[in-house]
Amino acid sequence: MSTRDTLLSRLRDNFDWVLFVTASALAMIGVINLYSATSVAKAPLNEVYLQQIYWLVGGGLFSAFVASIDYRHFERYGYVLYGFGIVTLILVFILGREVNGSSRWIYLGPVGFQPSEFMKLFVVLALAKYINTDARAEGRTIRELIAPTMIAGLPAALIVLQPDLGTALILGLIFLSILSMLRIQARTVGQLAFLAAAFVPAFMSFGMLGFQQKRIEAWLNPDKDIAGINWDPHHSRIAIGAGKAWGAGFMQGTQNQFRFLHEQYSDFPFPVFAEDWGFAGALLLVGIYLLLVLWSIHIAASAKDRFGAALAIGSGSLIFWHAIFNLGMVTGLLPIVGVTLPLFSYGGSSGLTVMIAIALLMNVSMRRSSLSTITFAR
Amino acid sequence: MTVLVPRSDVAEFRKRYKWMSLFVLVLFCAVAVRLFQLQIISGDDYAAMAHENIVRRVTIQTARGILRDSQGKILASSRTSYDVYIAPMKVLPSALPQRNHRGNRIADAPDSLPKVAEVLRMPPDEREKLSIRIREACATYDGRDKGSPCGRQILIREDVSRDIISELEQHRNELAGVEVVPTPIRFYPHKHLASHLLGYISELDVDALAKYRPDGYESLANEEKERVNPLGYDRRDRWGASGVEHAWESHLRGKRGWEKRVVDAWGKYRTGPAAARLLDAPQKQEPISGRNLRLSVDIELTQVIEKEMAPYRSGAVVVTEAQTGRLLALYSKPNFDPNAISPGGSGGVEARKAYVRELYRDAYLPLLDKTMSGAYPPGSTFKPFSALAALESHAINPDATNRCDGFIRYGSKTKPLRCTHVHGSVNMHAAIAQSCNIFFFKLAEATTLDPIAKVAAAFGLGQRSGLSVSPEASGRVPSRAWYALRHSANYFHKGFTLNAAIGQGDVTVTPLQLAMAYAAIANGGNLYEPQAVVAIETSDGVPMQEFEPRLKNKIAILPDHLLRIHNAMRDVLNSDEGTANAVRDRLLDVAGKTGTAQPGFHPNPNEDAKIQWFRSRNHAWFAAFYPSRAPEISVVVLVEHGESGPQHAAPIAMRVIREYQRLKTTRAGKPKP
Repeated sequence: MSTRDTLLSRLRDNFDWVLFVTASALAMIGVINLYSATSVAKAPLNEVYLQQIYWLVGGGLFSAFVASIDYRHFERYGYVLYGFGIVTLILVFILGREVNGSSRWIYLGPVGFQPSEFMKLFVVLALAKYINTDARAEGRTIRELIAPTMIAGLPAALIVLQPDLGTALILGLIFLSILSMLRIQARTVGQLAFLAAAFVPAFMSFGMLGFQQKRIEAWLNPDKDIAGINWDPHHSRIAIGAGKAWGAGFMQGTQNQFRFLHEQYSDFPFPVFAEDWGFAGALLLVGIYLLLVLWSIHIAASAKDRFGAALAIGSGSLIFWHAIFNLGMVTGLLPIVGVTLPLFSYGGSSGLTVMIAIALLMNVSMRRSSLSTITFAR
Repeated sequence: MTVLVPRSDVAEFRKRYKWMSLFVLVLFCAVAVRLFQLQIISGDDYAAMAHENIVRRVTIQTARGILRDSQGKILASSRTSYDVYIAPMKVLPSALPQRNHRGNRIADAPDSLPKVAEVLRMPPDEREKLSIRIREACATYDGRDKGSPCGRQILIREDVSRDIISELEQHRNELAGVEVVPTPIRFYPHKHLASHLLGYISELDVDALAKYRPDGYESLANEEKERVNPLGYDRRDRWGASGVEHAWESHLRGKRGWEKRVVDAWGKYRTGPAAARLLDAPQKQEPISGRNLRLSVDIELTQVIEKEMAPYRSGAVVVTEAQTGRLLALYSKPNFDPNAISPGGSGGVEARKAYVRELYRDAYLPLLDKTMSGAYPPGSTFKPFSALAALESHAINPDATNRCDGFIRYGSKTKPLRCTHVHGSVNMHAAIAQSCNIFFFKLAEATTLDPIAKVAAAFGLGQRSGLSVSPEASGRVPSRAWYALRHSANYFHKGFTLNAAIGQGDVTVTPLQLAMAYAAIANGGNLYEPQAVVAIETSDGVPMQEFEPRLKNKIAILPDHLLRIHNAMRDVLNSDEGTANAVRDRLLDVAGKTGTAQPGFHPNPNEDAKIQWFRSRNHAWFAAFYPSRAPEISVVVLVEHGESGPQHAAPIAMRVIREYQRLKTTRAGKPKP
């Protein structure tokens, strides 16, 4: 049996259609929605949907490449990639360009990258690699959790300094998601909870910058300062609510068409969708996200090794937390943190990150078969 | 290549997946529940808010009604003032912080303020002040806050000339952030004339705003708003502040209309069928324009009064139709220029404030309407009413003579009450014509106070006339009961009666009251309510609603008694001894009564000596009706502190009557407009 046959048959037999279809559906709906969202915007914003298509095609090809390499190669280079990520994060401080008051971007020619986006993937890889060799029969103590905490904590700290609290938060939640797979002593859980209870309020009062505190305040008083800081959340809620059961129809949502929704292509594409398609459409979309996340847990459950499982949980949680935070903030359940909606928001780096996460899921999913031949390469 | 590492054990994770799935499911369900709440439960509310966002009610302005005089001359109308506003952030972008909250540059545009200052010929210090004000307003602007003073327009010039408007138009490209707003302002072509009657316009004061726009007004339902604020007053609105402008506000104002327009988040109007579909009915409310009013006054007559009053500092003239109570002139001096008080007039806010301040400081009280807001002792003009009271109560024989030695003793007082003249032997007729105080003191003794007060009250003296143009003083005609109430039961003594009979002591009247009372004497006892507005007219001058004369009181008095008074008043001018014989005009059949009234003067050491001297002088009165045998008008002239009725007030009244007759004759041939 030649390698080529093995690859093809693996593709045929093990290709994860559920994952592919759900992800593609989201991406397609996302492009259509971007078209509606930016239809009244000025150039070049009104061509964002085209840009998104280019990214999807390019990202899709790269993802196919990522999916085709056996994920255990990633395991081998896990720490190297992680180190590379840390270096790019440090480079942000040196080369970074300031946008919206914080430096998150590195420019290679005309193309900008957000290293913090890709760092989420590198942290997932590094944590998965660490966990892979760290099987325990007994519950872990707090001391045994120091190393993985450091793996996630170092980049999180760098990202907080940018400052980009939203991304750091997602990173922390991905870390906790992976951590939740592990056996941990009940006492340790209590200690961690205690630490969190002490740390979070302290950070909120001392570590947060003025505008971050203002966003929390604005969230707690949603009807105040609608002309200012609460403009986006307020009009986002109106747009969603105004969609009612069946929506206004494609490109008919008045709040978007009359330019009340700002950031409608980046952080707020969902209100556009909810206004155009109503509760029916919004529920369908949320359902697809739910299916995608549940399926990624299913992929983790059928993974044959610890690395694959952790990789699947890490990638799945990346999509999950992004979706929950974005939907939460646009519906007013959560304060405004700049978190994109996976495959729906326009954004090169974040879009590519999500596509790679799906590619990693595909990778793990395709290699769940227990055929002995595939445990070896060549 | 080497063999990859062996598979690791995944048993540790197995139990967790179930819980993870459950966790994920719960969180997505929370989102779904929230969506249900937003879109299904509150969907209609949010749809309404969305609709409110894109549909704006644009106000359609209405024009204030025009005031015309009896001949159709315009007394007050509206004209357009061109006001110049600037948007701080646009005229002075250099005042803005460099970057907005996103770190993007806010604006790179050049400052247009220097050019604005140049075109408006702004003095350098004003320009400097303005630029400091803008810099302060914009110092903290971050590009987001829509309520920031940096985004709020500033009014810098009112009522600019056409030349400057065209210059602004020419340089429009260099004048970013400048807006010329046409605003209707009130215009009084006759300036000072009849200013108290017409009134002026001002911005709504705090009390009126609190009444029409109470707390929470914005959140009221439309019907409720209509009830609280039927005329739709808004903050910074203007209204009639005094005179007819105030009293007839509800007719003059009209009502603004509105039209729904589709607007986007940036305030841009959207048109076309797609936008029109979003509008719900009713789409438009037509404005109701203000009603035009026809006044009974004759501005030409007022012009003559103004000219005749020129030598005097202070006073009032009332001319009324004897048979209807319609006012032909209502004149108070000093007066003011309503154009200079009403908003929008040239000169700007500061000049207006200075002018009003000056009016308030003026010792001669230009803002007081002396025809009806001031009450003065009527002096001898009151005597006809005392005489009528004596006749009606049969207290005296009108034909019996009485000796006037120039003084009178009464009661137990040893010191006699002195009079200025010795009239010798006089009857009532002669006592009125020659204004003999001694006769009237004796008449008062015989008549007693209450019958005099009763007759005076029947003629409307000491009572508000009911003309709501200015706040009305009631004046006072005292009675025994009044003294008992005001002071004590034993306070009263006969001297009060004597004083009251000659219109002194506690008696005060307004010139308007006196004019109406004299009209009642003239017309046989019909006391009319004074009337300033005779009709509401459409914009082309056709009367929509006419107001009939309102008879207030039909006074029960014997015609014979009135005739005696008429004859006596005729002799005030016609007999050689008559007090106003000097002003007699053989061509004018006038009956009248002079009055020289002592003011209740109390020296005030804090006041200017000149003003004190002025205040110590007597009031000069002349009250008359014309023609005496078929009365058409009654005239009251008060020259405040003018010293002598016959010398100072009577000539003015005569000239007014002459002018009335002249105008009547010259207009007789022409059809009434």
